[in-house]
Amino acid sequence: MAPAESNNGTGGIAGDGVAKDQASVKVPSKDPKKKDEKKDEDLSEEDLALKQQLELYVERVQDSDPGLQKVALESMRNLAGEIAQEYGKRQVEETSIDDLMDLVVQIVAFHMKHNAEPEAVDLLMEVEDLDLLVEHVDSTNYKRTCLYLTSSAKYLPGPDDMLVLDIAHTIYMKFEEYPRALQIALYLDNMQYVKQLFTTCNDLKKKQQFCFILARHGITFELDEEMCADDEEREALLEIISNSKLNEGYLALARDIEVMEPKSPDDIYKAHLLDGRGSGGGTVDSARQNLAATFVNAFVNAGFGQDKLMTASSETSTGGSSTSWLFKNKEHGKASAAASLGMILLWDVDSGLAQLDKYFHSTDTHVIAGALLGVGIVNCNVQNDCDPALALLADYIDKEDPSTRIGAIMGLGLAYAGSQNEQIRSKLTPILGDSKDSLDVIAFTAIALGLVYVGSCNEEVAQAIIFALMDRSESEFGEPLTRLLSLGLGLLYLGKQENVEATLEVSKTFNEKIRKHCDMTLLSCAYAGTGNVLKVQHFLGQCANHLEKGETYQGPAVLGIAMVAMAEELGLEMAIRSLEHLLQYGEQNIRRAVPLALGLLCVSNPKVNVMDTLSRLSHDTDTEVAMAAIIALGLIGAGTNNARIAGMLRNLSSYYYKDASLLFCVRIAQGLVHMGKGLLTLSPYHSERFLLSPTALAGLVTMLHACLDMKAIILGKYHYVLYFLVLAMQPRMLMTVDENLKPLSVPVRVGQAVDVVGQAGRPKTITGFQTHSTPVLLSAGDRAELATEKYIPLSPILEGFVILKENPEYRDEQ
Amino acid sequence: MGQGTPGGLNRQLPGDRKNDGDKKEKKFEPAAPPARVGRKQRKQKGPEAAARLPVVTPLTKCKLRLLKMDRIKDYLLMEEEFVANQERLKPQEEKTEEDRSKVDDLRGTPMSVGNLEELIDENHAIVSSSVGPEYYVGILSFVDKDQLEPGCAILMHNKVLSVVGLLQDEVDPMVSVMKVEKAPLESYADIGGLDAQIQEIKEAVELPLTHPELYEDIGIKPPKGVILYGEPGTGKTLLAKAVANSTSATFLRVVGSELIQKYLGDGPKLVRELFRVADDLSPSIVFIDEIDAVGTKRYDAHSGGEREIQRTMLELLNQLDGFDSKGDVKVILATNRIESLDPALLRPGRIDRKIEFPLPDIKTRRRIFQIHTAKMTLADDVNLEEFVMTKDEFSGADIKAICTEAGLLALRERRMKVIHADFKKAKDKVMFKKKEGVPEGLYM
Repeated sequence: MAPAESNNGTGGIAGDGVAKDQASVKVPSKDPKKKDEKKDEDLSEEDLALKQQLELYVERVQDSDPGLQKVALESMRNLAGEIAQEYGKRQVEETSIDDLMDLVVQIVAFHMKHNAEPEAVDLLMEVEDLDLLVEHVDSTNYKRTCLYLTSSAKYLPGPDDMLVLDIAHTIYMKFEEYPRALQIALYLDNMQYVKQLFTTCNDLKKKQQFCFILARHGITFELDEEMCADDEEREALLEIISNSKLNEGYLALARDIEVMEPKSPDDIYKAHLLDGRGSGGGTVDSARQNLAATFVNAFVNAGFGQDKLMTASSETSTGGSSTSWLFKNKEHGKASAAASLGMILLWDVDSGLAQLDKYFHSTDTHVIAGALLGVGIVNCNVQNDCDPALALLADYIDKEDPSTRIGAIMGLGLAYAGSQNEQIRSKLTPILGDSKDSLDVIAFTAIALGLVYVGSCNEEVAQAIIFALMDRSESEFGEPLTRLLSLGLGLLYLGKQENVEATLEVSKTFNEKIRKHCDMTLLSCAYAGTGNVLKVQHFLGQCANHLEKGETYQGPAVLGIAMVAMAEELGLEMAIRSLEHLLQYGEQNIRRAVPLALGLLCVSNPKVNVMDTLSRLSHDTDTEVAMAAIIALGLIGAGTNNARIAGMLRNLSSYYYKDASLLFCVRIAQGLVHMGKGLLTLSPYHSERFLLSPTALAGLVTMLHACLDMKAIILGKYHYVLYFLVLAMQPRMLMTVDENLKPLSVPVRVGQAVDVVGQAGRPKTITGFQTHSTPVLLSAGDRAELATEKYIPLSPILEGFVILKENPEYRDEQ
Repeated sequence: MGQGTPGGLNRQLPGDRKNDGDKKEKKFEPAAPPARVGRKQRKQKGPEAAARLPVVTPLTKCKLRLLKMDRIKDYLLMEEEFVANQERLKPQEEKTEEDRSKVDDLRGTPMSVGNLEELIDENHAIVSSSVGPEYYVGILSFVDKDQLEPGCAILMHNKVLSVVGLLQDEVDPMVSVMKVEKAPLESYADIGGLDAQIQEIKEAVELPLTHPELYEDIGIKPPKGVILYGEPGTGKTLLAKAVANSTSATFLRVVGSELIQKYLGDGPKLVRELFRVADDLSPSIVFIDEIDAVGTKRYDAHSGGEREIQRTMLELLNQLDGFDSKGDVKVILATNRIESLDPALLRPGRIDRKIEFPLPDIKTRRRIFQIHTAKMTLADDVNLEEFVMTKDEFSGADIKAICTEAGLLALRERRMKVIHADFKKAKDKVMFKKKEGVPEGLYM
């Protein structure tokens, strides 16, 4: 395993050229089908004949005449089908299959040699012996083979899918395609593989690239000496993994695109584009308006470090007007306003903490709560070795005032999401058991714990939340906040499938008011991002019931459909269809959840048909449906600056100018659409839509669950749940850096990604591309490729940070 | 008007008014503004677009494709189950019936038909009734404003004349006549010979509609249309009839001369309308017989009438391969003067395939004779081979004429069977007529 793979790329190209010619030989024709039928009859009894045939074929294959090879290839397909049938039969009869396997080996070898990887893989899948594949792949065809394997995995029933990915991983390891191997390891959530990768690979640059991928995925990963012997190097790797470069890169992108100029909410509302009414008067509820402006300002200027409301005036050093915006908000509104400063300084831990510091000295508990939350937001997705968040926030957890405590708890949840930090558990679990604490504190504690231990199946945390749920009194079960408890429990099992069973059993003993709700939440979380059709069916079945008043479990069920189906494109589109049926037949509580589910399915991916549906629903007679649709419009357009959605929202703002709550939603949605001035995405999927970041999904789901009861939570005093979205916020950029991690501008082609699975040769992976120089923005469904031969990217997936290495074989034209 | 709702989702249930309490002022709010005003929504936006299934890649047959297809099937089964469940629990029909009766109450009876002249704002419009005067009236909220466009036919309340609905089916009656409701009796079996032609037309017209995936697999776009040409009586129309007989697609037939209208702009409009209907009813086949009526080469026109005909052809050109792609509409043209047609009409992309109908050869002639004489009672002495082997040039129609003529001759002589002599006489007669009075065997 010497690091000599640099030639692989070029070797592959040359080999492909030759292989391509042969690939063009295979022409599907109708005739084989007829032959197939004929052969079936005598084959089943006579195996000998089959073998003879094969020998003939093999002979033909070895013939140098290409005309004959074509015939051989076609017959080979039939033969493969027959073997698969025969294998099935013998499995039932339990007779020996050795002779068949001989044939299989020969056929696979033949297919692999002739660019028919899908056929070879199909055959091996039929005879359940994929291991054979590893021997037959070579440097020319392993990429296509693995691509086929990985894309099949999403549609195969378990446990086959894991097996297939395992094989793909082995192959990638064999050919030292480490970034892809890492991708699969992350998909499998197999930390052992990741560690192995670090120990196998000796190239520091590559390791740095791995760290970038890990950082994007948003999991904490411990590097020990075994993986990186040199202390200094480890330091460097840890720095990357802690995401501390994120802010720097993001700002570089912003400077490059020239959007550093802070924007005020009015720039977003663009009221001057509306004619007549609505733009002028209609300030019914100015506190609500100011709150909305706070959020819009926070979302739009997220991460830029400057804005026109919170920071601008503080720089003028009068201090008076700075506080004045803060105090334009009422009570809990101040919390959100203070926290918005954290959002503006997102990922920038040092200056963020410095600027938030002034609020800690405030006498107003809401301001302190906001500041605490702000600290959490600043540290979100970023780790810092001195753990400032924990140090700052821990003291406030046990304070008297509930709002301060919520701020601190939520802050911890955001800052340490996915870290499985023991200290936090020991701090937070006691709160769950304390019967004196108010419901909201407990609910947010559960969520925070759920975030910190997302997808960990940690039993102790689960126990604590379960007990907290059981302790609730009869009246509290009706509260929307209680439902967040079950969500906290669900987050622990995010994407963990069967591991949820035990807890699911326990939840059957809960009070009947919450039982079903909890069931749905747990199931939807556990199977999130799996594409499991049976679960979708289960949720649809639940939605088919017509409920008595007061039952709420259908909301999570609808969201569950979206969470499960978002795994792959087909499921996603089909789920959108199913949701339309739900709209047609469902009761109000289902209709309220459908827009949110649509929002989750297409988050940061404004599909026109979904946009139309949501636009229609935003005029619904039921205000809650309309509100959900408006928020969902914001979600699907999040960070895209989509002009069409922006236009729709502008019209909605004039349409609803009299209704404060709806207008609030419209404003939030406007803020979301222009999030980060169009540089951010909320999509939890990354790496060519292959990997799902658990913390990002957790953040989205939490916010959506809160939106299920809009009136009580978002429009009530818990509007800061909107900040949970920060977990999913990531720059949608491609940033190329040189080997010293300094930004490097190279030309890249950006275009719509094309599905090239199963295509022979080296088909174009993008279409309709434009050439830009990095850093560039990538929208949903986009893919980038380098437009220069001068550099070689260390990761085949050009997303986020990518290290470029000079191509030794590159020669300048001149 | 039931067909007028785009997407089945915007049922604003009249019964759902629970939230009216807390926002009374909203009662006077205008209804949602239409997404856009003007041109009617294209069909693609309707429920059909939503019903379209996602594209499955890769195109080659492999397990991945199978798995993906299976996944789609699973989802469809779930949908089916869900809908079936819902229908059982809470039959939709009752509810829609209820809604409809409410709407009917609001509409009042009788309604009158009018014309929408202009949309003023979201809920006011200027309308004109058939009597003449124009009125400024309101539009009721349940009217689908996305579908309103100036010039469309609307239903009006009988007293206040407010717009209460719109007449969806404002297809030009001229076009609706063109639709072939009853399949013609001629089938492929009634065609003697023309095997190559039948195959070509099947490949070009029928297969893309029934098995689009075959073309997808190969990676080519199916041809958009064909032109059938050849001497009179060689079976062009017959073949088109056979296509109409065998296809399940909508079959629209027009004769070129029908497209020539009295008023300026009516002809092109008719063509537009024709293709719009074809698109609405797609998959469909449009058959334009005697295309040379409108499709002749362009040259400096002397009269307004000629110019109008040329404009009609230009519209036809645009419809055949214009900006709006009409994937599921296939066009068959037929003419016996292909050389006089405008080259733009025949360029690939518009009409990709030209199918020639030659005069029948001996084999075909035999088949045609067999077909036509199959139902006739022939005497034993009839030797059809004599006519089959003759040097004279018969078209399919001539052969039919001979057979009919022979039958008539037999009738005249009160015979129950047609004898050989009848055929001989009939042949002479037909050939005589065909050569315009020049007796057979007389060469000049």
